[in-house]
Amino acid sequence: MSVLLERLIATLGREAVLSSPAELLVYECDGYTIEKNRPDVVVFPTSTEQIVQIVRVCNELEVPFLPRGAGTSLAGGVLPVGGGVVISLARMKKIRQVDTRNRYAIVEPGVVNLSLTNYLKPHGWHFAPDPSSQGACTIGGNVATNSGGPHTLKYGVTVNHVLGVELVLPDGRVVTTGGPIEDAPGYDLTGVIVGSEGTFGIVSKIWVRLTRNPEAYRTLLGVFETVDDATNTISDLIGAGIIPAALEMLDAPILSAIEAAFHFGFPLDAGAVLIMEVDGLAAGLDADAERIEKIARRNRAREVRRANTEAERALLWKSRKQAFGAVGRLAPSYCTQDGVVPRTKLPEMLRKIQYIGERYNLKICNVFHAGDGNIHPILLFDERDADQVQRVLKASHDILDECIRLGGSVTGEHGIGVEKIDFMPKLFSPEDLAMMLRLRAAFNPYGRCSPRKMLPTAGACIEQSKVGRRAAL
Amino acid sequence: MDDASCQIDGIGPLPVIRPTSVVELGEQIRQAEAVFPLGGRTQLDLGYPPSRDGIALDLTRLDQIIDYPARDMTITVQAGIRLAQLQRVLAGEGQRLPLDVPRAEQATLGGVLATNTSGSRRYGAGTARDYVIGISTVNDEGQETKAGGRVVKNVAGYDLCKLHLGALGTLGVISQVTLKVRPIPEASAVLMFGCETAALPTLLEELHASQTRPICLDLLNAAAVRHAGLLQPKQAWLLVIGFEDSETAVHWQMQQLIRELTRLNVVGTEAAAGAATQPVWQSLTELTAPTGAGFSLQAGVLPSQVAEFAAFAAGLPGDPLIHAHAGNGLVRVHWLQTPDASTAVAHRETLAARAGHLTVLRCPSALKPLLPLWGTPRADAELMRQVKHALDPRGRFNPGRFLQGI
Repeated sequence: MSVLLERLIATLGREAVLSSPAELLVYECDGYTIEKNRPDVVVFPTSTEQIVQIVRVCNELEVPFLPRGAGTSLAGGVLPVGGGVVISLARMKKIRQVDTRNRYAIVEPGVVNLSLTNYLKPHGWHFAPDPSSQGACTIGGNVATNSGGPHTLKYGVTVNHVLGVELVLPDGRVVTTGGPIEDAPGYDLTGVIVGSEGTFGIVSKIWVRLTRNPEAYRTLLGVFETVDDATNTISDLIGAGIIPAALEMLDAPILSAIEAAFHFGFPLDAGAVLIMEVDGLAAGLDADAERIEKIARRNRAREVRRANTEAERALLWKSRKQAFGAVGRLAPSYCTQDGVVPRTKLPEMLRKIQYIGERYNLKICNVFHAGDGNIHPILLFDERDADQVQRVLKASHDILDECIRLGGSVTGEHGIGVEKIDFMPKLFSPEDLAMMLRLRAAFNPYGRCSPRKMLPTAGACIEQSKVGRRAAL
Repeated sequence: MDDASCQIDGIGPLPVIRPTSVVELGEQIRQAEAVFPLGGRTQLDLGYPPSRDGIALDLTRLDQIIDYPARDMTITVQAGIRLAQLQRVLAGEGQRLPLDVPRAEQATLGGVLATNTSGSRRYGAGTARDYVIGISTVNDEGQETKAGGRVVKNVAGYDLCKLHLGALGTLGVISQVTLKVRPIPEASAVLMFGCETAALPTLLEELHASQTRPICLDLLNAAAVRHAGLLQPKQAWLLVIGFEDSETAVHWQMQQLIRELTRLNVVGTEAAAGAATQPVWQSLTELTAPTGAGFSLQAGVLPSQVAEFAAFAAGLPGDPLIHAHAGNGLVRVHWLQTPDASTAVAHRETLAARAGHLTVLRCPSALKPLLPLWGTPRADAELMRQVKHALDPRGRFNPGRFLQGI
């Protein structure tokens, strides 16, 4: 048994440590399956103190470590690039405190996003970020990647709903930033820890902002003959100053997969549909819905349906949020991208994606947060076929390059992880990246925590490096 | 105002340089021993006096609009633009940045962000943190570096935008900003009503639980009401509840709130709608930094503690103005007559003991050495210093003026 393993078992007990190759298999990647690498050990702390002990052992033995939530990252955020210790926060899942009067809750990082919202439901409140994976993903993971979701168009992303964190720094010190009282003078460290993809330490406790549940919803389904008509509608809605709670687009290929899985009644001959939702007070919602319908019809919507019951609305959202699951019906593997373009550039971007698909002879379907300009093209392939994998990678790169060319970004909510690290120099100058590296060094001077994530040159000093295995490459 | 030199808290005169390009700005920073960024100079008395000699860099000539794709609801501007000018440009497209900034004709965007200025609408509309999506700053080596971008959703790289908000320019000089903006709401209305101290806690609880969704939930004592010239105060406190939304939604909320208040036996409500709300918003905004206030404090408490804290503060001698953003737990206490040193120290201490944090927003320079202006150091003070050291290792930016060691 290695010294590392011995020390970790002595610290945490055997039931909190995984080390056999079979057990580690699950932890060699996340939702981004193109690159894989096995960690040496996976540990399951149940308290901040245990995280501190783990981090100290890793530092003593000079072993890299990284946090992991539910492993739903789509960018390799929890890929253990340099091996080492994966710190799973799955057993830290207590909702510590809920204070609706002061609009906050304190949760442990392993609390599943949806379970907090479900817990709050009887009180009339919720946690606003609602990524499609919300039934599985953890709030700690949301903090790491600054997650979004369909309703972040109106409500904002994770950082807009995090008031403070307790962080175990990479050297084992514990620090609390922020908290429920607003505007304490000083740097907004919370704001920069959110979205740092685990490179600043291990978040062990989170103060989240709670949001009142909307009194009512109006959920519309616009059916369009062409993708162009749908994207022009999006552009017109935003241009008219309408901010729906959610504005999602699904194209024909994804519709057929979803319909086969959920039988919602989507029209299979449509070019694209838009899910358009307004929420809030009941007063005024009908007028908003009518304005939306009018704009959709002006853009040649064939039909604008309304979800008439709560059950219908729930099924519509289930179909949308589990769209990725339905993709399994179309191909053995898929790779989804997360680019962002200015919202008025969506028609242009979608045409480009179609062109790229044709160029590389790949099927690409689209289901995405249209209101934010956050595209999620899904590239279908078979990971056993090396040539297809190559084409998928090339097509993905072309899509992201186009996002940059149109003035956008390569990731709206999934994160850079390892997947998009090569794009950072395209988005940022060497000076920009140098400032980011300086900031990282303030938190993580030895680069031992989440090495080789997000920034191209980071983590170069890790000794225990293994070359990541690439699927079928 | 003397353009060629300026004093900060009696220190100076510092030479004032007004760069007309970012290159020039970088050049100046590279050569300077210490740099004191200036915007509209409306909050120059915030914080401690400079601890070193240096140059004052006036950003007001860097005030260009770089890109305004109105249909994307984003705008990219240089940081020296005056807030009122920015709002005029946005209004031309039916849009706005929903931040309440006093002396907006003067104040620059860079200054507003460096001080994290906010006002009454923060309850419903949030703060600068919710609107800044991209930032460029000039670093200690005189290089302009950026973070974020120009799209509304973006998680590429560290979000340094957040770090510069409220940092008082101590991590670099903000040179350019991309903002997410909002449509100007169709309708605006305000409901005002008085209440006595004993009724305050219950009333705030009820307002928190109201079916309506106000954008503003402000609480003022009679002295503040009088100073703001809002109306003739009849009771110890005045609540100002604002709504901004569609015509239908605002109308319904006004009616609903009146129904709820009637149940609570609140009488004598005053309403304003449409253009008539403008002076109310204006008064509330200016009240966040009232002219003539000699000693101003800002406390942070939990919203549930606002009633108790405000009532205590109102009872302090010297007839202070109390203005709370009650839904957010921010309470400002202003004395028009500057108390003597020992009284000021005592006021600060007694309020600090009851608050989560307490900042001295304004006081005479002579008092500054006696007062912990930024309050008790936060739990993450050491980490903040590490961040400061990483981004400004030679301590060039605004030395001495912000938190200890920063």
